Amino acid sequence: MQGTNSAVGTGGAVVGGESMGSLRAGANFLRDYLVLVMIAVLVVITAAVEPKFLLPANLVNIERQFGPLIMVSMGMTFVIIGGFIDLSVAGTINLVAVVTISLIQRFGQVPALLVGLVIGGVCGLLNAVLILSSGALTQAEALFLTFGMSTVFSAIALLYSGGATMHFWDISASKVVFETIGGGNLGPLSVSFVMFLSCLAVLWVFQEKTVEGRAIRLTGGNMTAARLSGVNVSRSLFLIYTLCGFMTGVGAIVLFSRITTAAPVIGAGYETNAILAVVVGGTTLKGGKGSVLRTVMGVLLVTLMSNCLDLLNVSTYLQVAVKGAILVFAIWLDNRKQV
Amino acid sequence: MSSTAMNATVTKSTVIWAPLFRIATRQKAFLAILIMLVGMIFSHTDFYTAYNLLDMLNSTSILLILAFGVTLTIISGGCDLSIGGILVVSGILAIRLLDAMPMWLAIVLAVLFGAVVGFVNGFLVVHQKTEPFIITLGMGLLLVGIAQQLTDAHPIPAKNPDFMVIGNGDFHGVPNLVMIMVVCFAASYALMRFTAFGRNLYAIGGDYDVARYSGINVIATKWVAFVISGAAAGLAGVLLSSKLNTGSPVYGETTALVVNCGVVVGGTSFAGGIGGIPQSGLGLLVFGLLDNVMNMLGIASYYQVLLKGAVIVTIIWLDCFNQKVKREAV
Repeated sequence: MQGTNSAVGTGGAVVGGESMGSLRAGANFLRDYLVLVMIAVLVVITAAVEPKFLLPANLVNIERQFGPLIMVSMGMTFVIIGGFIDLSVAGTINLVAVVTISLIQRFGQVPALLVGLVIGGVCGLLNAVLILSSGALTQAEALFLTFGMSTVFSAIALLYSGGATMHFWDISASKVVFETIGGGNLGPLSVSFVMFLSCLAVLWVFQEKTVEGRAIRLTGGNMTAARLSGVNVSRSLFLIYTLCGFMTGVGAIVLFSRITTAAPVIGAGYETNAILAVVVGGTTLKGGKGSVLRTVMGVLLVTLMSNCLDLLNVSTYLQVAVKGAILVFAIWLDNRKQV
Repeated sequence: MSSTAMNATVTKSTVIWAPLFRIATRQKAFLAILIMLVGMIFSHTDFYTAYNLLDMLNSTSILLILAFGVTLTIISGGCDLSIGGILVVSGILAIRLLDAMPMWLAIVLAVLFGAVVGFVNGFLVVHQKTEPFIITLGMGLLLVGIAQQLTDAHPIPAKNPDFMVIGNGDFHGVPNLVMIMVVCFAASYALMRFTAFGRNLYAIGGDYDVARYSGINVIATKWVAFVISGAAAGLAGVLLSSKLNTGSPVYGETTALVVNCGVVVGGTSFAGGIGGIPQSGLGLLVFGLLDNVMNMLGIASYYQVLLKGAVIVTIIWLDCFNQKVKREAV
């Protein structure tokens, strides 16, 4: 909040001139990377009020909380850069989690893991097929279609599991892969964090260095122009939704591995949290601009905020309200930047 | 315009299917209701009793009141996904205020709260020109958080027995809720059909810039649509609390999306400028009837979720497909 005031304040004071130019650049930088300022303010305030925040145990905790949301958000980033939105991630998480955990006993852990990832991708693919076949062009249409699909995926998860919660301790077969994802360490870092780093590297290269990555950005920037300049828009759509579904699948696996249980409702709220993280990071909802690196900052802010509010004994309910307020504020600010 | 667009796409091979397709796509809600009504003749349940049909209407009333408000925003080219949040907060607010002041004042303040949220939505969407879908979704999240905080996520009971009468009483067998719904219907229908405000909303949804150049105060008009939608959600929240005699934050979770879908199901399109209050009524009745039919047939609750999701996807898909056919015909 303080960050914005200063950014807007400096921006308003600038009239012109040489020295003012760098001021303006500074103000633009602040506005562009407001999320960094917010993270810094949050860390300083919380560390001052509650010194426990900087204890290694808490930092490890934050690192682990980071895992599931970042995976989902990185997938969501591409959908939003492509100019669309995916509200079905909650349903996808529910479905992937209950199916994967139930298959460990029956088929072993590696096949279960692979099936989980495939289900995630297929859920995303289904969204893409629906959107393309109906010719939905706007975010609004995609929003409602994917919301409907989320209901469908959740219902399938409920039917498959019978509504029951499944626990790791009920599984007698080897589940060492999932236990490693959930709680293992690689040097000083947790396995889920290493997974995040490798996914980030792959996705960043995909975004910056491949034709497909740039095609997605073009599609989001101006679909007609992209089509006219020879970009296969349908292919971009298939890519973004399938990628989002796949990354949501990865997120679901990280999530239930960490909490060692899977219920058909564990995905609730992930869609709004992921959109929140992406937008707060600075990827614009209008499409065409943004980056997975920005999303990392967004997720960091959301995770830190949850952690800080927990430490400061703010109730979980009020945290939902705070998240909603930040979402509204971030979208408003994102919109101001465009004008 | 829509019929010429349709005719243009009809080719020889689709001659047989074209009329069927046209009926199904132009008034999907009516068709869905007809299918359910005809289907239930063969079901050997108590579906065709005055009691059940009135009960169905009674339980859909609150959704209908929400839908009448939302219709205005969708016709103007926007959308309101914060109504779920307004619904729960205003319901809780009414019950809390009931302890401190006369009942009518508590109700008025709760409705006013909805209008204030609608005003803020209007500011963000209309004045600041943000994308309505996601910003109102965020507003809904914010309000649900507030509702949980206000009640500690537990349902809170109302202590005033008079309050309960509003939502549960009846007048010569017609439930109060149904009567209130009919009044809201008449008021919103008249507003959209017979006033300059209503016509201006259609114009704004049809083409924002053309409406602006023709001298309509686009910002004020569209803003008012959001305020009305918020106030309607506030009223619906009071009625829901009164009907259940409790205020609880859990009812708002998917209400907003279902109501917005219902409005589109009726034929009011996200493209703006098309549709109307009666259509939205039909659209929401599809969901009310579907719930009732599924319960009558004893369908397990998880299958009910699945069916509802499938209906939403199918109908939104058809709406998008219609738009696409129109676009390509132009």
